[in-house]
Amino acid sequence: MQTLVQRSFASELRAILAVANKEWTIFRRYPTWIAAFLFWPVMFPLAAIMTARALGGPSGAGFGAFAQLAGTPDYVAYIALGNTVYMWMNITLWGVGLTLRNEQMRGTLESNWLCPVWRISMVVGQSLQHLATSLVFLAITFVEFWLVFGVQIVRGNVGLVLLVLALLVPCIYGIGIIFGSLVLRFKEPNAMVFLVRGLVMIFCGVSYPLAVLPGWMQTVAQYIPLTYAIQGIRDIGLRGASLAELTPTLMPLAWFAALLPILGFVTFTVTERRARRTGALGQY
Amino acid sequence: MSIMSLAQPSWQSYLRAILAIARKDLLHFLRYPLNAIFQVLHPLIWITPVYFLGQTFVQGQQAATGFAAYVGTADYMSFILIGTVLSHYVATVFWGIGFSLKTEMDQGVLESNWMTPNPRLLMLGARTIAAFVITTITDAVFLVIAAWLFGFHASGDVVAAVLTVLPTILALYGFGFAFAAIVLLMRDANTMVDITQFMVSQLSGTQYPVQVLPWWLLPLALALPLTYGFDAVRAFLLGTTTLLPLAWELVILVAFMIVMITLGAWIFARVERICRQRGTLSMH
Repeated sequence: MQTLVQRSFASELRAILAVANKEWTIFRRYPTWIAAFLFWPVMFPLAAIMTARALGGPSGAGFGAFAQLAGTPDYVAYIALGNTVYMWMNITLWGVGLTLRNEQMRGTLESNWLCPVWRISMVVGQSLQHLATSLVFLAITFVEFWLVFGVQIVRGNVGLVLLVLALLVPCIYGIGIIFGSLVLRFKEPNAMVFLVRGLVMIFCGVSYPLAVLPGWMQTVAQYIPLTYAIQGIRDIGLRGASLAELTPTLMPLAWFAALLPILGFVTFTVTERRARRTGALGQY
Repeated sequence: MSIMSLAQPSWQSYLRAILAIARKDLLHFLRYPLNAIFQVLHPLIWITPVYFLGQTFVQGQQAATGFAAYVGTADYMSFILIGTVLSHYVATVFWGIGFSLKTEMDQGVLESNWMTPNPRLLMLGARTIAAFVITTITDAVFLVIAAWLFGFHASGDVVAAVLTVLPTILALYGFGFAFAAIVLLMRDANTMVDITQFMVSQLSGTQYPVQVLPWWLLPLALALPLTYGFDAVRAFLLGTTTLLPLAWELVILVAFMIVMITLGAWIFARVERICRQRGTLSMH
């Protein structure tokens, strides 16, 4: 098949940036995002923190059991760290995961996919904008926890924290792209977000130590990358772990970081081919 | 100039309108079966981490003694399950009124629907009918499963508890009407409904007694009628210690109901008039 289009690395890069810019324009068009970015970082973990405070009791009778299992008496920082990683995952599912579906609903997916660029470049562009806004969200979280609870959630070796975050980015966006592809296929995004984020909330020890889970649930937790990311960040911040001590946690996370983007690409390609073959791209 | 109308509104025509809206919403709900299943699964997913968080605090003890010191019962799961069920009704009012308004704006049917000779408040309220029926059914299933998984021991006066819920929900309708007015002005519902509903539910003590809230949030919690609704219902069902004498809490609920419905309806009428004058009803 002949085409007049002259695709190059530069043209793909321009397409990625154009999509990121378009997503950014839509994002800032609704100023309520400011309220969301200020509200959720502290208010979401507040539910678990206050529940923990109630369970601990006015005299602190219950905190001994928590400290023994969690390895730290600082329940606020413990819950805050787990919930911050969870919130990042959650907003990625709603953001990256639903972008394709939103295009499908608006009726622009088919026309956009007629452009002479790789489809995956469009998804990468959407993820890029999302990553930038997520980093702002994380920065706000750190500041708000310090102001509201007097808790610094970036503690210990900052370089190691950044290493864990760097390994977490491909995991989260890999999952986001897999998720977005599946939403395109099954068309019930809300239910799927509830399922995936629910699995993370229950199995990854977002608010509690994994030791409290039954054995089979701990086994399931080992197959979710967020388990290692949460554990790593807590080990650095609450126990001052060194790189050597973190290695058993970082190795599985590194494997997930290498495999999940590839799995995301494969899932997206298969879903895209199937949608084109069945003519289901415009259906919703 | 007098306005002539061929419409002959009566209570029967209003009833028919309410039933038609409820039927339409029910059809929408049943059209997405996965969402229907997740209406039961989602609260279970949400409540499971709270159960494990509780287990972290009661390890090695017979009961949650710290929790009991706050509310007079160590049965924290029954306490939380009652709060969860009540919070679903709160969500029904918020999403049923605020979000459905935005959905109609997006679909472009708000103006045409509002051309029908029905009061706007009736149409807003009717959008919650199907959701209430669905919530009641799914919550019954949810409670049965949750009782099996986590235990639920409510042995108090169920009739008194239901009678307490009624003014609480009606007061929420007033709040919902005022909220709908804000959605009309801001033209974005998702973030606002999400934030407001979460904040109202959390500050009212869905998961914990409000006494554990920080000093800067406690006045807000005590200013919400829902706080006394949750407190009174738990007192009737679980025999928990109340914030105020029970009779006072019931008087506050009834007073709030009257004030909120009047105020909410007034605010909505004012804002709706402004939007019609500006011609912004169809914008989104």
